[in-house]
Amino acid sequence: MAEKRKRRSIFDLIREYEEELEELRQGLVLPPLEHPSWNIRECTLEPLCSIFVSSKEVIVTADLPYAKPDSVKIEPINNERLEITAEMKRKVRFEELGIIHHEGEFSTFSCQVNIPVPFDVEHMKTRFKHGVLEVRLPRKRGYRIPVE
Amino acid sequence: MLSHRDHNPLNIIFFTFLVEGKLKGTPLKTAKVIEREPVSSGAIMVHGLPDVGLVGVIAASHLIAELNMVEMAYLDSDALPPVAVLHEGLPHAPMRIFGDTNLLATISEMPIPANGVQLLMNTLLDWGLSKSPKLTVSIGGMPVQNRQDIDAPKVFGVASHANLLELLEKKGITVLREGYMVGPQAIILRYCAEKNMPAIALLAQSFYNYPDPEAAAAALKEFSNITGIKVDVTKLLEKGEEIRLRARDVMKRTQQELTKMKKTQEYDLPLYV
Repeated sequence: MAEKRKRRSIFDLIREYEEELEELRQGLVLPPLEHPSWNIRECTLEPLCSIFVSSKEVIVTADLPYAKPDSVKIEPINNERLEITAEMKRKVRFEELGIIHHEGEFSTFSCQVNIPVPFDVEHMKTRFKHGVLEVRLPRKRGYRIPVE
Repeated sequence: MLSHRDHNPLNIIFFTFLVEGKLKGTPLKTAKVIEREPVSSGAIMVHGLPDVGLVGVIAASHLIAELNMVEMAYLDSDALPPVAVLHEGLPHAPMRIFGDTNLLATISEMPIPANGVQLLMNTLLDWGLSKSPKLTVSIGGMPVQNRQDIDAPKVFGVASHANLLELLEKKGITVLREGYMVGPQAIILRYCAEKNMPAIALLAQSFYNYPDPEAAAAALKEFSNITGIKVDVTKLLEKGEEIRLRARDVMKRTQQELTKMKKTQEYDLPLYV
C-alpha cells in the first residue's frame, strides 16, 4: 500500500494545535508514576478497580479472577482509602503467563482505592459475583443548604 | 474549535510557533499495511480491536487460535508507540492481520492511540477495501452498568446498510436503532457505509473496564450464526479467568485511550432535531 500523505490545511493545523494543547493541559496534572501491576516480594497482583460516585453512594468494583470468595477482605485504611485483598484459588507463576525473564508466583490480590468523598463504612454492602467484587458505600452527608 | 479561553496572548504565540514549525516540515505521521503473505480477495474480514471489555481482541484472538490462522500482514506506523511484541523470541508488530483463504482477522495487542485512531483505521480500511471483502465484521463490547447481574450477555447489531440490518434481524439479533458509537468501530462503520462495503458490528453486553471473555464468547456465537463459520467457544469460556488475569495490563492502558476518545459518549442520550 502506498503511504498516506495528505496536504495539510489550516484546519489540520488547528486540530493538531488543539490536540497538542490538550496533551499539555493533561500533562499539567501529574499522572501517578507507572509501576508494574504486580509485586513479587509480596506475591501480589494488583487487580483492576473502578469507582463510581452517585448522589447517594460510592460504588467500588474490583475484578478478581481466581479469587476465593470467602477470602475477600475490604478494610478502611483511613477516611479516604480502602484496601481490598483476596487470596487466589491457586498460585500463578510468571511462567504460566509466558514470561521467563522474571521469577516468582502470585497468591493474592491487593490494591488500595482512594475514595473521593466522605463515606460511611459501617453501612457498607458487598457482593462477589462472576469474580467481580462490588462494594457499596453510603455517602456521609454534612449539612443541607435550604433552598428558599 | 478554539474556545474563548484559548484566545490569550500566550496561546496565540504558542500557536504561531506551532504552525510555523509544522509548515517548516514537521513530518506528518504515516501508516501502511505490509503483506507478509499474498492475501486473497473476497474473504470475510473480522476486526477485533481494543475497546470496552477487550471483547473484540479476546474474540479475534480465540478465532485465530481456534481456526489456526496464520499471520498474513501487519500495520506499520509511526502513529503507534515504538513497541515490538515478542512471540517465540521474535519481534512482531502490535497490529497484525491473520487469515486463511476465507477469513481475515485484524487484532491489536496494544491499545490504539486516540490521536492516531483515524489514520490507523483509515489505512487498515483502505487496505481492506483493496481486498474486496465479502463482509466486514467488527466485534466489540457494549458497556452496561449491571453487567455483573447478566449471566448470558446479549449481542446487539449495527450495520453499514439497510439490507444488512434486515439480515441481523432475520438472524435474531437486536439492532441498535439510535445512539452514539465512539472509537475504532465507529470509524469502520462510517467508512464502510461511505465506500459501499458491507459491514456489521456485533456488540456484546460487557464490562466497561474489565476484560470480558463471556461477552467475547457471546459475540462469537452470533458471528457463527451470521457467517456460518463454526467457532467452538468452549475453551474460551474454560480459560475465562486466565484471560482476565492476563489481559489486566492491556485493559488498563486501553481504558486510558478510551477516556481520551470520549468513549463514555456512548452512554449519552441522542439528540435528534
